[in-house]
Amino acid sequence: MPRLRIKLSLFNILSKVVFTALFLLLMPYIVKKISLFEADSTLIEMREQVISLISDIGIEPFITTEAENAFGSYNILKEEFISIEKYTENEDVNFIEVTERLIENENITYRVLNYSFKVDGEKYLLEVGKSLDSIHHTEINTQKVMLLFLAFIILITFITDLMYTRRLLKPLDTIIRKLKNISDPSAYDNRPVKTTTNDFIRLDNALKELMDHIDKLFRKEKETTINISHELLTPVSVLRSKLENLLIRDDLSPEISMQIEESLKTLHRLQSLINSLLMIARLESRQYLHNESFSVNNVLSEIISELNPIAEDSGLLLKEEFESELQINQSNRSLLFSMFYNIINNALKNSPAGGTVIVKSFSMGKGHIINIIDAGKGFSREQMNNLFLRFKNRSENNENGTGVGLAIAKSIADFHDIKIIVKSEPDKGTVFSFIFPENS
Amino acid sequence: MNVLIVEDEKNLSDEIARFLKSEGYLCEQTFRGVDASEKIAVNLYDFVLLDLGLPDYDGLDLIREARSSGSDTAYIIITARGAVEDKVTGLDLGADDYLAKPFALPELASRLYAVARRKFKISNNEITVGDFSFDSHSRRITHKGSEITVTKKEFDLLNYLILNKNKVLTRHQLYEHIWGNILDDQYDSNFIDVHIKNLRKKLNEFGETPWLETVRGIGYKIKL
Repeated sequence: MPRLRIKLSLFNILSKVVFTALFLLLMPYIVKKISLFEADSTLIEMREQVISLISDIGIEPFITTEAENAFGSYNILKEEFISIEKYTENEDVNFIEVTERLIENENITYRVLNYSFKVDGEKYLLEVGKSLDSIHHTEINTQKVMLLFLAFIILITFITDLMYTRRLLKPLDTIIRKLKNISDPSAYDNRPVKTTTNDFIRLDNALKELMDHIDKLFRKEKETTINISHELLTPVSVLRSKLENLLIRDDLSPEISMQIEESLKTLHRLQSLINSLLMIARLESRQYLHNESFSVNNVLSEIISELNPIAEDSGLLLKEEFESELQINQSNRSLLFSMFYNIINNALKNSPAGGTVIVKSFSMGKGHIINIIDAGKGFSREQMNNLFLRFKNRSENNENGTGVGLAIAKSIADFHDIKIIVKSEPDKGTVFSFIFPENS
Repeated sequence: MNVLIVEDEKNLSDEIARFLKSEGYLCEQTFRGVDASEKIAVNLYDFVLLDLGLPDYDGLDLIREARSSGSDTAYIIITARGAVEDKVTGLDLGADDYLAKPFALPELASRLYAVARRKFKISNNEITVGDFSFDSHSRRITHKGSEITVTKKEFDLLNYLILNKNKVLTRHQLYEHIWGNILDDQYDSNFIDVHIKNLRKKLNEFGETPWLETVRGIGYKIKL
């Protein structure tokens, strides 16, 4: 879909094209009308001048004797002529006509003003003419000037229109950019958009209010989760210490001890569940510190050395392939440790005996990628869709799994602006890719 | 050593007191911040276990008061709030350790032990178990003079069991002690079994370890 500015510019061009076409179509007709009108005005003006001249100096300078009863005058190019002659008809005339005149053996078509008047009881006819060629010539000149002017005007308005729309729509661009850049309503830029257009101010304010509102709701939801979790942890705590105190008594039968341990296990699941929800809510409301600088490969090596005994015990191979170093700032080491631990541990759990899990660290362009590759069970299409949703992914081989492990990993990744991409094929294996932001 | 337990949840306070008494500590309990403030001003305690979420008092204020009066009581914060800022402020104010609820009672014992060693300069770090001797300070295990190399996790595991000797520790308690609660979600009983198996293998190359017992269906225990 084209952008608003493009649309406006296109309309701008189109309207000018239509306007120009219409103008070009109508111009010859209009110019003709105008030049005829102009010519007629000139004729009338000339008549007035002649008449006022005659009333000043009399008719004698033009027509003196009986013998000489006509006066004629034309300019060198025969564009105009004036003639005065005695008039014998009774009827007074005052009209303009197109007629041919023979001047010096040349037939020229003139537009002629005929006018009869009386001087000293004698009637005269005044004819003032302007050649059609000269009228046409003016017409063409007028057309040229008009066309030039039109081109100039169109060019100027086109450029100013373009510049003005760009300037006018700039706040809209700013608002769109503000919306594009945020991942969370709280990240919406609160500074008002610089504009004098009321509509944009209203749009910006409405968006700001909406974001504030959503942000408040999110915050409230997270706060509620955090509060409920805290409230739940106290009774869990009481139960736990009661059971632990019971378990260390030495007058218990093995059977009772095992019953107590079973209860403790269940309680641990509850505790772990509450803590996980608490952790996600805290991550989402950014309550964790992120002020540590460290090497990610270092974290991975530590996890690998911790999980190696477990991998060996299950006949699995856990391999590290570090191609390049990744040093990051402004991060939380134990959170990243937990995230990678979770994914690597899952990869081991999903691998068949004799399988290999590879932890790869390499740069690509300006970014850095950590891949965790297993050749295990893989995820079905349905599992893939719900991979990072809480409680949707309880794997059956994890007795203690609360189904939130991957949700936590995702929250930790989001907290650090790390992108996770998962490629998986059932019975072939899975690749978890962690793409670190360029500036980390 | 005497401990003041400042915890408004009476049930929990009782259990902590019961456990610490069995560990040989003298315990006093108080359920309100005002009482705690008074007791701290009057009596001299080695440890104060402090719940930050008291209904009538900000627990952090209690530490401030105590620090301004110049006492060298060790403060251990126990809280369900678990907010990072609380932990940081608490430790900044001079709290000696921080435990998030719910914690394991053996974990509390090991924290008290660690703080006591650091704070009250207990120099005897060596414990003898059978023919083996463990130095928790230099983190060395020796058998009749020859040193045994174990991993950090294996040493921590053994150290925790020795500290809570003659008590059975569940696999989860051991796991929590070693990995902390940030990996709670990844708990796998197999982890502890693998580590104990490896540990036994390493120790058995030097001598028998009948004192490291597996308690069926529950966990492990060091019997001395």
